[in-house]
Order: sequence, then structure tokens, then C-alpha cells
Amino acid sequence: MMDLIISTATQGFIYALLSYGIYITYKILDFPDLTVDGSFPLGAAITAVLLVNGMNPFAALVAAMLVGAVAGLVTGVIHVKFGVRDLLAGIITMTALFSINLQIAGSNLAVERAIDTIFTSGPIMAIMGGSSLMLRKFVMSLIVALVMKLVLDWYLSTKSGMLLRAVGDNSTLVTTLAKDKGTVKILGLVIANALVALSGAMVCMEQRAFSSTMGTGQMVFGLAAVIIGTTLFRKMSFVKGTTAVLVGSVFYKACIQVAISLGLPANLMKLATAVLFLAVLVLGNRQKGGAENA
Amino acid sequence: MKKFMAMTMAMVMAAMTLTGCGGGGAAEGDVPVIGISQYGQHASLDNCREGFLLGLEEAGLVEGVDFEIDYQNAGFDDNIATQIAQNFSANDVALMCAIATPSATACYAAAEDKDIPVIFTAITDPEQAKLTGGNITGTSDKLPIDAQLELIREMQPDAKTIGILYTTSEPNSVSAVAEYQEKAPKYGFTIEAMGVMTQAEVNQAADTMISKGIDCMTNLTDNNVVGVLPSILEKTNDAGIPVYGSEIEQVKLGCVASAGIEYVGLGKQTGAMAAKILKGEASAVDMPYETVEAFEIYVNPEAMAAMKLDAAVENAIDVTAE
Repeated sequence: MMDLIISTATQGFIYALLSYGIYITYKILDFPDLTVDGSFPLGAAITAVLLVNGMNPFAALVAAMLVGAVAGLVTGVIHVKFGVRDLLAGIITMTALFSINLQIAGSNLAVERAIDTIFTSGPIMAIMGGSSLMLRKFVMSLIVALVMKLVLDWYLSTKSGMLLRAVGDNSTLVTTLAKDKGTVKILGLVIANALVALSGAMVCMEQRAFSSTMGTGQMVFGLAAVIIGTTLFRKMSFVKGTTAVLVGSVFYKACIQVAISLGLPANLMKLATAVLFLAVLVLGNRQKGGAENA
Repeated sequence: MKKFMAMTMAMVMAAMTLTGCGGGGAAEGDVPVIGISQYGQHASLDNCREGFLLGLEEAGLVEGVDFEIDYQNAGFDDNIATQIAQNFSANDVALMCAIATPSATACYAAAEDKDIPVIFTAITDPEQAKLTGGNITGTSDKLPIDAQLELIREMQPDAKTIGILYTTSEPNSVSAVAEYQEKAPKYGFTIEAMGVMTQAEVNQAADTMISKGIDCMTNLTDNNVVGVLPSILEKTNDAGIPVYGSEIEQVKLGCVASAGIEYVGLGKQTGAMAAKILKGEASAVDMPYETVEAFEIYVNPEAMAAMKLDAAVENAIDVTAE
């Protein structure tokens, strides 16, 4: 049972990185960013290729983030500079990335066990080389998820981060401050997709494989994690958005694991998640005092 | 609004009932549990699982006494496959049986820590998928391409061009196409291969393929293409182009013939290997993966008649007779 909790939480932490990205675009910038379904496997593709070619796994993570950032930049430029609608800009990048990912990796690519990942090399082995791989994966993903959370929290409190929040809430304010809101939006997309690609890179190391279809549905997952997390903590205003998202991500993965443990047929899995999703939202609205859309 | 709420409640209740009924989970006691992770619902993959269980039975093992089965299906979702594998690992199953590559990759990753043996089936190229050289073994469903080309030559003595649709991201398909291209000249064929990236593109690609004037088409075990086979067959039937399958289920669906793997048999072979591991007679570490040497020729006389093909193939199994 303990093992199951640990490995499910690990999944939650790794996918929390992706959810942070969606928190920035969807919750802060109010931008439905579909680039995610492409930048997630992009991070994995880059990582798989770099690992196979003998690169240090930590350097591979950084490289994945940089490439993810470029993907965000492309969506941002298409939207802001070429005036393409937000949803479409993301779709264009995502579609292009499908081909690009395959060009990078050749085809679906596996990483041999002999090749070291962040879970089997460097600092983690020095500190807890004696403990099980599962525990190392847990600790490593927790550290990455927490570090990224703290960095994000710090960034959102800086002047640049404030502007980011202002663009979503009240974009005229940004203009009156003599700042270009387009540039701020692009910056948000760059940060978000760097995080998404990092998440993809971690999944690639954890699974030791890149698959071209691994991005499908990630945007929906991230969105669900963000909404569940923020709904759960709606009343507790002292809880930071990023913390809520981290919890939301673990919660969602836990729900899927419960469904699997119950022996729910695969065909019903998505229905069960949809019902659960709805239940959380309805309960959240109740707390707030009734539905707004009625 | 009230109606909407009522409907929501009804749905929640229905889902809860279903969840309740579906209960099973891991077995209790000392009976070793075999976790079966199947990538999705698909006739060939179902046959593998069925055969796997038969293989265990034929080896003298009895379900409930010698082993328990925890069967999970990922519904073609890689994330779910990952979580299924972790569930198996956390429950300390005695053995994981992975059907199709993504499930095998996930099981192999989850089993790494505890060194739980993984036995796979329905994987074309285990070397390429890096699923060799550890506590892992299984069976490969590599296509008997020479036999298929021979069969096509026998059915259509004048044919020149064979069309193949495949998914560019599936390593299995890419290597099969390469092998077809290499071997086709020996039988006097040229191959017209066309790659797609997603299932949504398959139908358009089929139209293009037909317009190129091919003499026939042959299938691989490509999930994207096989998944929409009925709609491909509709188009090719109109155009009068025979389609050859890669296994029995495709011939049942309306392909004219196939020299192919019989997945129940493949599953049985896998089950026999798993039985050896469970009995402690062998370890997955020392067992190389196996391929099927034997294959069957399947024909669909109805589809052949519609295509005006009348070759009498020896030892062919009529799929419509069952």
C-alpha cells in the first residue's frame, strides 16, 4: 500500500510541473494554450536523444526546458505578432511539434537501463544510493516540483511577475504602465512551456521512453489539476496557487490509481474521472454559494 | 437546472454502482498474482490474453490455486499504462504480463526496482524497444513477410505494385516496411509505401494510395491503420483492389487473405514461458525472447469472390467457415 502511495505521489509531482505551466497560461494569463500537447513530448524527445547520446541527465533537463521555452515563444509570436487567435496559435505549434518531435527522435525511442537518469546518478545516488529506486524517484521528483514551485512563487512576486498577473486580470493597466502586454504574454508562454517540457523530460527519464503520442490529452490533465487544486483551496486564501496546483495534480493521479485498484474497466475510466471532476467542481461551487451560470 | 442536477446525480450514482461492482483488486493469501497489462481493447490483443491464460492452463497451472490474475486494460492511454504498472509493482505481483509495446515499456520501468519478471507479447521488435537483457522475456509477433509475398504472388500472378499504409512513429511498422521493400523485388513486386502520423489521416492516405493505381494492398500490424480497416476496405472494395491482412482478425473483417500470426497461439507460447518462470524452472533473465516460426494461411472466400480472385491456396484456413 505504501509503495502505491509513493509511486502515485511521484507521478503527481512530475505532472505538477506541467500543471504549473497550465496554471500560468490558463489561470494567470487567461490563455488556453494547446501548445502543451506538443511541448510535453518535445521535452521527452530531446531528453531521450540526449541521454542516448551520453549527455549528463541534469544537463538534458535544462536542454529540454530551453527547447520547451522556444515552443512557447513560437506560439506567443504567432499569437501576438501575427494576430492569430490564442487557441489557433497553440494548435499550429502543437501540430508542427508532432512532426518536429519525430524528426528529433527518429521514431518512438527507448532509453536503455544502462543509461543513467537523474534518478540513478549524481547527487541522488550520493545521498540515498542505498534506498530503492522508487524512493529515489519520489524524493527527486518532490525536490524538482518544490524547487520549481518556490522559483515560480518568487518570480510571481517580482515586478515582471506582477505584470504577468496584471495582463490576465486587467490588461489595460499594463498598457497604462507603458508596458507592452504582448511581450508579457509571450514571456508567460515561454515560462509555461519550459515547465511543460521539463515535465515531459522527467516522464521520459522515469519511463525510459519517448513516444510520439505521449502528449495527447496532457492539456486536459493539466487543466483538471489546476481547477481541482484551486477549487479545493478556494476558501483558504493563504494557500498559494502553485501549492494548490501541486496538490491538485497528486489528487488527480490518486483518483486514477483508485479507479485502477478498484478494477474499474478501462472503458469506464474516463467516465469515472469526468464524474469525479464534476463532483469537485460542483462541491467547490456549493462552498462559494451556488452556481454562477444558472 | 433541477433536471440537470438530477441527471448529474443519476450519473454519479451509476458510476458508483459500476465502481462497486468492478471490485476485485489483488488476491489474498499466498497465491502468486500475475498482473496482466493490456494496452487496449483490440481483437488481436484480446486473443493474446486469452492464449496466455490457455498457455498457463496447458502447463498444468490452475487459476485460483497456482495463480491469480489481476487484469488491467489501459485503453490506449500511456499514462494509465504507467499507473497500472506501478499498481502491479506496489502490490508485489509475482509476474507482469505486458501485451503490446507501451504496456511492456511501462511494466519494465515499474519492475526495475523490485526485479519483478516481465513477460511480454505482441511486440514486433523487442531489441529496438530495448526490452531485452534483464528480467524480461516474451514473444515477438514479427510478420512472416516472405510467406505473405509468396501468397500475394499466388493469388495475383500479374500484380506489380503493392501498397502499404503505415504510421511513421511506429518503429514496428517502419522496420516492416523496410523489410517489404527489401524482399519485394525477389517476388517481382514494387512497394508503394505511404506514411501517416495519426489515425485521422489514414482514410485520406487510402484515397491517395488507390488513385496511384496499385494492384493490391497489404497490412502490417499497425494499430492506427488496422483500427480503421473497415473504412479502408469500403474504399478498396469500390475500387476493386484486394487487401491482404497481417493476421486472422483482419481477414475476418474482409481482407482477402493473410499469411499471418495467430495471436491465440502466440499468447499460448507466452503463457508456457510464464509457467516456467512461475514454477521456478527458469528465470526470465536467461530466457531469450521467442518469435513464431509457424504461421497459418487464412482466406476469406467471400472477399476473394468479390475481388474475382480464384486461386486455390493449399492448406488455407477458411475464416468464414467457423
